[in-house]
Amino acid sequence: MSQAFRSELTRLGQRRVLAVWFGLTIVLAFMINAVMATVVGQAGTGNLPTPGVAFPTREQLESASGVMAGLSAASSMFGLVTLSIWAWFTAQDYSSGLIRVLVAAEPRRWPLIAGKVAALLLATAVATTIAAFATLLAAPLVGASGVSTAAWATDAPRVVIEAWIHAYLAQVVWGVLGLAVAVLTRSAMVAVAIGAGYVLLFEPLIKMVGNAPSDWLLGTTLNTIASGGTPSIQFGTALGLGAAYVILGLMLATWVLKRRDVTD
Amino acid sequence: MSVIATSSLTRRFGDVTALAGLTVELPAGGVIGVVGPNGSGKSTLIRILLGLIRPTSGDASVLGEPITDPTRYAARVGSMIESSAFAGGMSARANLMSLAHLRGVQTSRVDVVLAQVGLLGRDREPVRQFSLGMKQRLGIAMSLLTDPELLILDEPTNGLDPAGIVEVRELLRQLARDGRTVVVSSHLLSELEAICTHVVVIRYGELMFAGPMAQLLERTIAHIDFMPEHDGDAAALADALANAGWQIERRKGAIRALEAAGRAGDLNRAATAAGFTLAHLVEARDSLEDVFLSMTAGETSAAAGVNA
Repeated sequence: MSQAFRSELTRLGQRRVLAVWFGLTIVLAFMINAVMATVVGQAGTGNLPTPGVAFPTREQLESASGVMAGLSAASSMFGLVTLSIWAWFTAQDYSSGLIRVLVAAEPRRWPLIAGKVAALLLATAVATTIAAFATLLAAPLVGASGVSTAAWATDAPRVVIEAWIHAYLAQVVWGVLGLAVAVLTRSAMVAVAIGAGYVLLFEPLIKMVGNAPSDWLLGTTLNTIASGGTPSIQFGTALGLGAAYVILGLMLATWVLKRRDVTD
Repeated sequence: MSVIATSSLTRRFGDVTALAGLTVELPAGGVIGVVGPNGSGKSTLIRILLGLIRPTSGDASVLGEPITDPTRYAARVGSMIESSAFAGGMSARANLMSLAHLRGVQTSRVDVVLAQVGLLGRDREPVRQFSLGMKQRLGIAMSLLTDPELLILDEPTNGLDPAGIVEVRELLRQLARDGRTVVVSSHLLSELEAICTHVVVIRYGELMFAGPMAQLLERTIAHIDFMPEHDGDAAALADALANAGWQIERRKGAIRALEAAGRAGDLNRAATAAGFTLAHLVEARDSLEDVFLSMTAGETSAAAGVNA
């Protein structure tokens, strides 16, 4: 598996891919803080029904964890980027025909998935770190909108580390799902379309249906992980559900890769 | 000893049979050609041997190991299947490094194979900027990373210009001279004539011929192509010679006397005796392509629709 990991890491080192991924992460971090500043300034409260974004309330923004609120608020959007990159990186093996070379070199196949996941976990950690730094840099935008930032400095290291861990765990689930869909469909476009369609259309529509049980839905679960738990769902519960999504996604991807003929 | 052996190897894709009970043995050493028209099952055979797809039934072995466990021979086999495949945004060197890591090969091998295929000096350019010939050479370099005993190359000259074809042929010869067995597939027998020591011809998944190239060359039939001075006399000349016992075949632009090796003088005298003057007379053999076409000609099979 370590051989596959090193191999994937070499291919993941393509500057253009990393520039797009990390660039989008930075842009998103600034954008969400700018939007939060506008929303809080105008409406005075959050929780607007915006697909893919869970805006915090003014009270949440003014708490110690408010400085990193942008990271959890845009968790689904960051997740969509992560899903897209994982899916693209996986589907590229099929579109380029590289899967033939990889499987001929490693006929057991499962180490290919394991190595790819390990390399992407590392890259996702870097992306999450960049997102956390960008959020810290962009947080003054919210402060400038009239929100009290007095509590932000009280426990900043703990808040930043916790926010990073929560965001990272949520990104990992998004990424694994992107990888699984890409292995299934052998297409990055289809995987991204499914991910975006789900986050931006399907889940918001489900939530609009009265009394629909939405707590277990993917976006809600991952937002809960990213924000470290909500009044309605505990962090541990959401994490368990997220882990189930990851295990299911990896099992499915591995089974399909092992069983399917390589005809690409 | 055979490097590859198959026994009743069959692969079906739905209703289409890509390999129909293929039984063949390929000897070790030299360049071995696997030839057949498009859709004959060449790529399906190669993919099965490399563990990319599973046979519907039958057995096969590669380097004496069963194909049910390709891990036992994967490191000893290098391959390029159909077109070469790599990450286009990366350099040739980075692509090779990535594969070297996966194969668990010393990265110093990267320079060796780059030199072997003549890509040193261009190895830091993005592969997407490479010509087709350079991409094929990189594909061969990737197949050489483990210094394999057996190389399996699927249509390595596909899409190359004549100069590129000559280059790849010379490279394959050199690899065989180094002691490897090189199995190379093509849909053109003539393309392999110059380099192969042994050849396997398949059509619609069935074995048509397997043996030394020399044995196949024996199947080429000597003939004489000729024409009278006046084109209008062609029919009369053909009839006259046929009546004199020659096996005559009318062709576009020429008359052909079959099974006439070394009898050009006799034919010339026979034509003169019948009152005709020959303006054109040439003794030749059927081309390998003619032999190949006669072996592989047949009704269109459903297999032709498969990328096999």
